[in-house]
Amino acid sequence: MRQFILIIVVLICGCGRQDDADDQLHQSQLLALGTLVDISLWHVDEKLAEEAIQGIDSQLRQFHHHWHSWLPGRLHDINTALATGLDIELNDNELALLQHASQLAAQSEQLFNPAIGRLIGLWGFHSDNPEGPPPPDSAIRKLLQQNPRMSDLVFSDHKLHSNNTAVQLDVGAFAKGYAIDQAITLLRQRGIDNAIVNAGGDLRAIGRHGQRPWRIGIRHPTRPGVIAAVEIQGDESVFTSGNYERFYDYQGQRYNHIIDPHTGYPSKHTLSVTVIHTDATTADAAATAMFIAGPEHWRAIARQMGIEQAMLIDDHLTVHMTREMAQRVELKQDLKSAIEEPA
Amino acid sequence: MIKTINSPGLFTKADIVIICAALLVLPLLYTQFWGNGSQGEIARVQVAGHEPLQIPLQRSQRYTIKGPLGASIIEVDEGRIRFVSSPCRNKLCIHSGWLQHDADFAACLPNLISITVSGRNPRFDSINF
Repeated sequence: MRQFILIIVVLICGCGRQDDADDQLHQSQLLALGTLVDISLWHVDEKLAEEAIQGIDSQLRQFHHHWHSWLPGRLHDINTALATGLDIELNDNELALLQHASQLAAQSEQLFNPAIGRLIGLWGFHSDNPEGPPPPDSAIRKLLQQNPRMSDLVFSDHKLHSNNTAVQLDVGAFAKGYAIDQAITLLRQRGIDNAIVNAGGDLRAIGRHGQRPWRIGIRHPTRPGVIAAVEIQGDESVFTSGNYERFYDYQGQRYNHIIDPHTGYPSKHTLSVTVIHTDATTADAAATAMFIAGPEHWRAIARQMGIEQAMLIDDHLTVHMTREMAQRVELKQDLKSAIEEPA
Repeated sequence: MIKTINSPGLFTKADIVIICAALLVLPLLYTQFWGNGSQGEIARVQVAGHEPLQIPLQRSQRYTIKGPLGASIIEVDEGRIRFVSSPCRNKLCIHSGWLQHDADFAACLPNLISITVSGRNPRFDSINF
C-alpha cells in the first residue's frame, strides 16, 4: 500500500506546471520610432544583451530620423526631389526599402500605397496630436485625380525620380515592420537566436522561450485584455492594424488614420486586422492593405500578398479568419467567428 | 482441516488516515497552484527609458507617473489598476478602464507609459495590438 501512496505523491508532484525560470529572460524597453519598443532576450549573456540593445536603440533612432513622415530627414529630401521630378541618388538600404514597398503596393492592388503622403497630411495625420476638422471633399478629390502610386517611381541604378509630382512618400504603414526586421537581423548577427522585438504592439519573435514556444496575446480591439493567443517558435511576425491606434474625433465623428487610397477617406467596417507572417515588413503592409480592403475583399488581398494566416474583426465584432489562422490561434472570448479560405 | 489465515486488509488504519488527510489537503493545493490563475497580482508599469515599476494590486494607492507629456495618475484599488488621468488627447488609456486579469494591458502611447497586469504565472511573453 505504501508503494501505492508513494506513486500518488510522485504523480501529484509531477502535475506542477512545467515552465522555465524567468531569470533567464532579459527584458528591456526603449523609446524609439515614436513609441515603446520592448525587447525580450532568452538565455543571453548580460553584457551581450546590453550591447545588442544599445545597437538596436541606435539603429532605430537613426531609422526614425531618416524616415520620419513630416520632420526634416532623408525622406523629406526624397519627397522634395519627387515633387520636382528631379533625380535623387539612393543608397543600397533606401533602394531596397522603396523597391520592396513598390512590390507590396502592386500585390495589394495599391491599397497599401505609401505614395499618398500628401493625402495623409491633408487629413491632419502628419502631427503628433492629430485633430480635425477633416479636409473638404474638394481637396480630397483633387488629390485623388492626381492618382499618386508607387508605380510612378522610376528606379534607374541607384537613382530615383517620379513621373508624377503628386507622389509624396509616407512609410508609416510599413516602417515599423522594416525597422523590426533590421533589429532581428542585428540580434542574429550577434548570435542571439531567441528573442522578441515588440514595437508599439507589433512584433517579430525568433527561437523559443527555453523549452517552450513564445506565447503571444492578441489584444481585443475594443476592450482591455486579449482576444486570442498564439504560440510562436522559429521565426514569425505578428502585426495588427487597428482603428484605435491613431484617430481624432470631430463633431461626434471618429476619423482613423488608415486612409483608403481609392476613396480618399478613412477606412470603415474594420476594427482590426492581424497578420502572422515570416517577415515583419510584409506583415505590416499586408495588415494595412487588408484593413482597407474590409470584410468583403480582404481574402483576395491576403492571397495576392502571399498571406496565409490572417484575422479580421469587423465593426460588428465578428471575427473572420483564414483556415490557417484558425488552426493557430486560440480565441479567448466568446465571439462570433467565421473561418474563411482566402478566395 | 481447514486452516484460516488472517490476511491484512487492503488498507491499514494508518493508510486510511493518510488518504483522508491527502483528500482534505487536495482542495487547498488545487486553489494554491491552479485556482484563479487569471487573476492579476502585479502590474508592471513602464515608462520608456526607465526601469519598470512592479506594483502589487493588493494595496490600494494612487501613483503619479511622469512621462514626456506630463504626469499620468494611476490608481490601484481592490486588485485592480487603471489610468485616472493622463495628458494625452484621446484618453484611450483612461477609457480602457480597470485592468485586473493576467495580460490586461493599457498604454498611454503619447505619454509613453504602459501597464501590463500579470498573474502568478503570466500567460504571455508579449502582447500584440
